[in-house]
Amino acid sequence: MKIFGNKKTTAQVSSNMATKQVRYEALVKALHGDLYRYAYWLTRDKQVSEDLVQETFLRAWRALDSLKDEKAAKSWLITILRRENARRFERKRFDMSEYEEASIMDTQSTTTEQEIENHWLREKIAQLEPEYSEPLVLQILGGYSGEDIAKMLNLNKNTVMTRLFRARNQLKEALDEAPVSRGQYNG
Amino acid sequence: MDDLQYRRSIYADPTCQDEDVLAAQQADPAKKEFAQELIQLDEKLKQAMKIPVPDDLCDKLLLRQSFASHQQEKRKSKVHLALAASVAIIAGLAVNYLQFSSSYTNLGDYALAHVYHEQSYFSNEDNTRVSLVSLNRKMTAFKGSFNGSMGELISADYCRFDGMKSLHLVFQGLTDTVTVFIVPKKEHLSFTDKFSDDKLQGESLGFEHANILVVADKNESLEKWQKNINDNISWSI
Repeated sequence: MKIFGNKKTTAQVSSNMATKQVRYEALVKALHGDLYRYAYWLTRDKQVSEDLVQETFLRAWRALDSLKDEKAAKSWLITILRRENARRFERKRFDMSEYEEASIMDTQSTTTEQEIENHWLREKIAQLEPEYSEPLVLQILGGYSGEDIAKMLNLNKNTVMTRLFRARNQLKEALDEAPVSRGQYNG
Repeated sequence: MDDLQYRRSIYADPTCQDEDVLAAQQADPAKKEFAQELIQLDEKLKQAMKIPVPDDLCDKLLLRQSFASHQQEKRKSKVHLALAASVAIIAGLAVNYLQFSSSYTNLGDYALAHVYHEQSYFSNEDNTRVSLVSLNRKMTAFKGSFNGSMGELISADYCRFDGMKSLHLVFQGLTDTVTVFIVPKKEHLSFTDKFSDDKLQGESLGFEHANILVVADKNESLEKWQKNINDNISWSI
């Protein structure tokens, strides 16, 4: 009687579970930062980003077996996160494209020249249209090529390159217009 | 590559390694410098984009997953338990049904099948005889008794008549044995007056407490047997 011949033993199951657990933990440790930052630039909200990253990793856990190539893990997670983000808009539609001053990171408390410049730049990045900032974040932070980004965003490569051009062009113009000393110097 | 085109490709990707972009940089140091400038801008942007990640995010993620997978496990084991229970119940019902359900719907069919089944145990030439006294002792279960002998009684025994306790009498007949069943009245087998197949014939007599069936081969006069039984039987209250 070997009707249930393909049934795994308990030991096998728990060892598979253990392997899955190890993979998952490695994935979380290696990529949660990148994903959080990507979520932040997508939503420009710290709390929403955290929630998105949590949802993303939960879905990733459930679908972990479908991830065969570890090298593709990051773009796989980014795809899940973008989908989760879109779902968020289906659930409750509120205008996120509007630039919210309050939600921009306050890093002024550790005031160094570098931090001031970062803060200023963050505001400028946040002011970009999402369709420009998203490929830019993927390119600079994610290190993806134009082709990769095109695949992830379901756009053609020329569109992506044009958006990247416009994003940098706008930032460069903003930089060039700004006075040499930015931010506030106290003393 | 003209200037505008060059600027476009550099703005789109400062680290662009396309041949014509590289060639343009070789030809014009200003273009190379422009690219360097943008690479520097990218570096600044990268630093700016690296917003601080909450320290506890990693732990939160691992914690939430361990809860989620625990819940999933619990749900799974519940489903398995429910499945196992359903299978067990259905198996139980099936066994019950197969064991105790009657596959015959009327007295006649069952009686014929019963006689065929036990044909080999009795023969008309058997010398064993059962006395009237012991027959009547057995008949007390059916609240009846026989006043006189109806013939040469070869065997009298309780048996299961489609799940009912009944009395199975085998008499010596003209050419073959004559079988008489005394069966309690139950509703699950419908009463059939006369029944037969190509070898055997039978008749049922309905009494207050029991049905009496006579099954014999076609040489036998069932009428005679019925009359015999009718004359001899008496029922107690």
